[in-house]
Amino acid sequence: MTTGRHPLRLSRMLTLIVAVAAVLIIVQSARAFHTQFVALNCNTNNPQPTTFFTRHGSSAVALHARYEGYQWAGGCWNDNNIDDSPGDPTENSNTGGEGGDCSGFTFKVWRESTTENDSGAYQWNMLRNVHGPYTADRFRHGDGAPNVTYAKSGLIAMDALASWHHIGLIYSRNADGSDQIIEAKGEAYGTNIWTRTYRGDINYSGVRRLGWSG
Amino acid sequence: MTRAVVATALGVALAAGGLWSLLALGAAPGAQALSARTAGAQPIIDIAHLPPLLTTADDHLSVLRYDIACTGPGTESDSSCDLDGTAYVRVGTSGIFRALPLHLDATANVGRYTATLPTDVATSATGFTYYAVVRDRKSGATTTLPAVGATAPQRSIRLASPTSIDLGAHQFGNALPASARVATARWGDGSTDVGIEEGPQEEPIGASSFDVDSSGNVTVLDEAHKRLLRFASGVASTPTAIAVGVRGTIADLAVRSDGGTYVLESVAEPGQTPLLRSFDRVGRQVGAWHTAEALAGTLRLGPTGLQALEYPASQWMPLATGGGEVSAATQFAQGRAGRAVAGSRELVAQREGNEVRIALVDSTGVVKSWRIRSSTPLAEIQLAEPLGTRVVVVLRAYTDANAAFDVLVLGDLGLVKHFAVAAADWAETAPLSRFRLVGSSLYRLGSTPTDMFVDRFDLEEH
Repeated sequence: MTTGRHPLRLSRMLTLIVAVAAVLIIVQSARAFHTQFVALNCNTNNPQPTTFFTRHGSSAVALHARYEGYQWAGGCWNDNNIDDSPGDPTENSNTGGEGGDCSGFTFKVWRESTTENDSGAYQWNMLRNVHGPYTADRFRHGDGAPNVTYAKSGLIAMDALASWHHIGLIYSRNADGSDQIIEAKGEAYGTNIWTRTYRGDINYSGVRRLGWSG
Repeated sequence: MTRAVVATALGVALAAGGLWSLLALGAAPGAQALSARTAGAQPIIDIAHLPPLLTTADDHLSVLRYDIACTGPGTESDSSCDLDGTAYVRVGTSGIFRALPLHLDATANVGRYTATLPTDVATSATGFTYYAVVRDRKSGATTTLPAVGATAPQRSIRLASPTSIDLGAHQFGNALPASARVATARWGDGSTDVGIEEGPQEEPIGASSFDVDSSGNVTVLDEAHKRLLRFASGVASTPTAIAVGVRGTIADLAVRSDGGTYVLESVAEPGQTPLLRSFDRVGRQVGAWHTAEALAGTLRLGPTGLQALEYPASQWMPLATGGGEVSAATQFAQGRAGRAVAGSRELVAQREGNEVRIALVDSTGVVKSWRIRSSTPLAEIQLAEPLGTRVVVVLRAYTDANAAFDVLVLGDLGLVKHFAVAAADWAETAPLSRFRLVGSSLYRLGSTPTDMFVDRFDLEEH
């Protein structure tokens, strides 16, 4: 019996060890990837409709996201000037990290509606987790009632330059003809202002949000 | 926010004189100063200003414009601050500054403030110098632009008789073939491949900068693999890989005469300004220090050392001399509108609408200048470098459907040479790192969906 019971106990122990190891690996991975930033900090409150929204005000909204993180398909950030969820795997849109992605950031800065045929303005708080219905490519095509394509040479502050993969907002012009772009660039970059040459890049098209109060 | 905090200290320092402002900065170099961002008590005052670097009589310049965003902590409203400000201007580069109040331009569609220039300042043959101080009346936060105010003010230079060049409409599709392809590597992860940065969310980014030494050896920054790829002169396809400890994001590169390299990271650590890394020829990091300003992405190595174009000052600042560190205080104090070039001159370049202006300036004033007009929209000035008595300029012409680079060799009487180079910019790079001039050869960094390459264009026939 003894010889008969040992293999069984060993087998059970091995199974248990493997199971525990697997759970630990999964938990460890989850802890590494799932930062819980969205779960712990963000909300799903209704936005505030507003009839007064300016490019200047949208610059201010954008600046609150500056120095914060990047989250693919995300749209929630605080204003502590630190990426609270750095190093998330870039292929996973469900890591729950801080920041918008490029189009989620644009959507909130442009204060748009989640309803595509609504061109009104809505103040989303930075801790409201919302991405909006548009990808960079959909912005590029001027999809949605508030958005239109626009000649690149005529773009001004808080207009956008969008490609198939990416969208950034013009913050200001540089004397050398390049632009300062405020954008959620990527996981390794976060959200910030950088000098870019998107305007002359044929991959990028001009996009304008309509309806500004000023 | 940080800038506001720094500038509050600076405002006091400025009031006490330029020396005190330098001392204040010496005690609080940019990298440390930015860590104050997390204090969270005061609003961020962020000033965007497009300096009128090069003006002509027909500009009828009458105002200085500042687009100012001010955000209070925790609020996202359209008017969380109560701003006022003063621009300080003077004729030429010396003398006493005059205070001009900044007024909100209610007709503008951003938070634009303007200062009306006195006629004698706006029309001065010697141009003018100026800086601005902006204050939030609610919190008392103050920001000065440029940060050291009178110590290194912005400069506007009047062009009396620039040489005019009219490019007409750009004819897309007429790009000149290169004289030679001097480096090429496929996108991939092999030992001689060049990498694309990770992430499904971005345009492809890779081979973010390059440089060429005087012997024609090409060095490409393969930031995705955290290495340099060095292509020996005459060997275009089998580079030597040199590991370097870089961040792995967009950065600019300059190669020293000793074979060592500088890499300027465009992404900074939280609370810090961009980091310049210095590597020896085998890739060991031998130094690292920060830019003075929060934004910097363009490096140029010249006769006076390494310079970077830093923002929001919009000034070229020294970043390394003799291979050694230049402190943040010295960077700020030596900020200039133009980049130092050979002969104790500065080269100033500006694009305004469909016009580019170029000037060589020395201590006596403008030595040579050009106005280049185009009926096709112009984007960035990729390169402006002296070549003997001439200047080589590379501009990007674009429409909504096309883009190409115009290469111009400017002489005393006008255009000496002009040809187009195909855009070939499939992968994103550091913004102004696509061209380098070495001797009389122009090198360009290009890419296609399959590979990265460096081409050489010989500007003078041998």
